[in-house]
Amino acid sequence: MADATHIDITLTDDATRAPRVRVWDRFVRLFHWSLAASVAIALATGFVGGPRLLVAHLVAGVLAAALVVARLAWGFLGPRHARFADFVVGPGATIAHLRAALAGRPSHHLGHNPLGGAMVVALMLAVAALSLTGAVALGGALKEGPLAATITFATGRAAREAHEWIAFALIGLISLHLAGVVLESLRTSENLAAAMITGDKRARGATAPAIAARPTLAVLVVVAICAVATQLTLAGMRRPALGVPTAPLDASYARECGACHAAPSPAIASSKTWRRVMAGLDDHYGDNASLDADTARALSQYLDANAAERWDTQVSRRVGAASVGEDLRVTRTRAWTRLHEDIAPATFAAKPVGGAINCAACHRDAATGRFSVFAIDIPHERTAP
Amino acid sequence: MTLSSAARAAALALALAATAAAAATLSPGRQAVVAALGAGDAAAGKAFFFARHTGGKADTPACTACHTTDLTKAGQTKAGKAIDPMAASRAPDRFSDLATVEKWFRRNCTDVLGRECTKSEKANVIAYLLSI
Repeated sequence: MADATHIDITLTDDATRAPRVRVWDRFVRLFHWSLAASVAIALATGFVGGPRLLVAHLVAGVLAAALVVARLAWGFLGPRHARFADFVVGPGATIAHLRAALAGRPSHHLGHNPLGGAMVVALMLAVAALSLTGAVALGGALKEGPLAATITFATGRAAREAHEWIAFALIGLISLHLAGVVLESLRTSENLAAAMITGDKRARGATAPAIAARPTLAVLVVVAICAVATQLTLAGMRRPALGVPTAPLDASYARECGACHAAPSPAIASSKTWRRVMAGLDDHYGDNASLDADTARALSQYLDANAAERWDTQVSRRVGAASVGEDLRVTRTRAWTRLHEDIAPATFAAKPVGGAINCAACHRDAATGRFSVFAIDIPHERTAP
Repeated sequence: MTLSSAARAAALALALAATAAAAATLSPGRQAVVAALGAGDAAAGKAFFFARHTGGKADTPACTACHTTDLTKAGQTKAGKAIDPMAASRAPDRFSDLATVEKWFRRNCTDVLGRECTKSEKANVIAYLLSI
C-alpha cells in the first residue's frame, strides 16, 4: 500500500518522468489535422462566399464529410483510444467529470476525457450536419450536385440558412475546443496539441489494456461507403435538375428581340412583367419596337409559357419574383443587385459586355435561362498597353 | 415645256431606267419589295436618309444616328448591338422580305420623324440603299 501511494505521488508531482505511451494512432492524427484544414478552408470560403470560391468550398466540405465517415469507421475498428467506447460516455458521467474538474479534482484520462469526448461527437455531428445542409442547399438553391433533381428552391434556401447557423455553431464549438485544449494543457502541464502531432502522452495511472485495430476492415468499410456515396451522387447528378430551363431561346424571339439588344431568357422575369413589356413595345425604353399582331401574339405566348414562375431556379425565384419598378428592368431589382454586388460597374460598361442586359457576356448558359453558378465567366477588359 | 422641266423629265426618265436596270439584277425577294413599294428616286432617298428630321426623338434626329454615315459599315443600336451595314451590296440578306422592311420603317420612322413614312419615302430610301 505504501509503495502504491508513493508511485501515485511520483506520477502527479513529477509527471515528466512518467513513461510516454502512444495514445493517438497515425490515422487519428492525420484525421484531426486534415479535418482542421478542410474545415478551416470550408469556413473561410463559405463566409467570403461567391461563385469563384464555391468549388474550393465544395471540395473542402466533401473532404470533411469523407473524413468524418472514415473517423466513424475508425471509432469502431481503431485501437483503444480511437474507439468511441473509450471516450463517449453518458451525460451523467460527463456532468460528474465537469463537477469534479470545477472542484479541482479532475479525473485522469489517457485518451479523451468525457468533455473532450463530447466535443469530438459535437464537432463530428456539426460537420455531418453541414455536409447534409450543404448538399440540400446546393441542390435546391443552386440546382447543382446530387440533390438538384429532388430539392425545391424553397427547401434549398432554408437549408442554406441552417447551413450558415450550423457554421456559426461550429465556430463556437471550435473555440470551446481550443479553450479546452489550452486549459487542460495548463492544468496537466502537458502540451495536448503536441500530443496530437507526436501521438504520445505521458502515462497516468493504470494503463488500460490495448485493443487491436482492424485497419484492413476499416479501409474496406470506408471504401465501400465512399463508393456507394459516389455512385449515388453521380446518379443524382445525371437526373435532370428540378424546375431548370434547358431549351435554347425560341428562334423568333431571339431574332426579334435580339435585333436591338441581347435577348434575355424569359426565365428572368415574371409573366406579369413580360405582359407589361409586350404591351409597351411602341415605346420600349425610348424606341419603337412594335411588332405585327401575329408575331406579338406568338412571342407573348412563348414568354408566358417560359416566364420566371414556371421555373425553380435562383434566378427565377429571386430575380424573376422580385417586383420590378415602373421601367420593368429586372437589373434594377434588389434581388438582381444583390446577386451582382461584387461586380464592378466598369465590368458592365466594358466593351465585351455592353451593359447589364447582356447576361450572356458572363453567363455561358444565359440563353437557356439556367444561370448555373458554374457557368460564369467574367470577361476582363483588356487595358491598353 | 421649259428647258428645265424637260431636263427634269429627262433626269427622272434616266433614274427610272436606272432603277429598272438595277431591278433586273435584284434577287426575287428584293424585286418583290421594290414591286410592293414602287420604284423610288435614289437621290431623294439619299437626301432623306442623311437629313436631320424634326418631330421624332431627340437622340435619333436622323437615320444616321444608329446607321452612321458610312453605310458600308456596321451601325450600332442604342442598346449596343451591331447593326448590319445598310448598303445592299454589303448586306445580301437585306430588303428581301417586305414584312421586315415594313417593320423597320414603321419603328424607325416613328422614332426619327415622329410619324410613319409615306410609301414614296420608303420607295426612295430602298432605291438608294439598293444602289449602293
